Amino acid sequence: MENIKLKIARVEKGLSQQELADLCEVTRQTIGLVEKGKYNPTLNLCIKIATVLDKTLNDLFWDENKR
Amino acid sequence: MKTKDKKPFLNMDERNKQVAYRIISIMYFLTILSMQAIVLYRQFALGQELRDFEDIAIIMTVNSLFLISALLYFGAIPIRRLKIKSILLIYALLVTLGSIFTYAKYKLFTNAELSFRQLFDKLIAVYAITGIIMLFFILFSILGKRKMEKELE
Repeated sequence: MENIKLKIARVEKGLSQQELADLCEVTRQTIGLVEKGKYNPTLNLCIKIATVLDKTLNDLFWDENKR
Repeated sequence: MKTKDKKPFLNMDERNKQVAYRIISIMYFLTILSMQAIVLYRQFALGQELRDFEDIAIIMTVNSLFLISALLYFGAIPIRRLKIKSILLIYALLVTLGSIFTYAKYKLFTNAELSFRQLFDKLIAVYAITGIIMLFFILFSILGKRKMEKELE
């Protein structure tokens, strides 16, 4: 399932996928696949992304509807 | 946050590594399978002697032993408790398979005129080697478990 929250947070921060990828030390494809919901990132990467975007893990990766 | 735990290998991120590991695992499996197919082809299609492809058999055996030992040591095979009953069951299974292969090797695929006594000696060797292999596996499981417990302390 596509991760819209992550995409919105990234755009709000004014970052491109490549810039976010560079800050998280991963490839642009990885960020793209996380946003598309086609790759499950490790907790370490989730924390890195959340820190770079100034968000919590819940903000980016928690889906209330799935509870 | 910019943390650099380890120097990246070939600039691979976690997803690249995951994909690479998956492909390497599949290719390893296919290689072992191909080697098995080569052994069968040489034996039955080309009619070669067993000693002609013993090198491949040795590589496959050593490879499998290392693989199982590593899986046990690094905790890839979940073992809660080492039960004597399970160990004996696995030993019996391996010994049965070994006996069948030994019998087939000397009685069906080669024209070796082995007496019952000679065949019995070969089977004793199979039992002993299987036992030693099992002991190594148990040792690796215990060492792996200890390593894990130490890391958890």
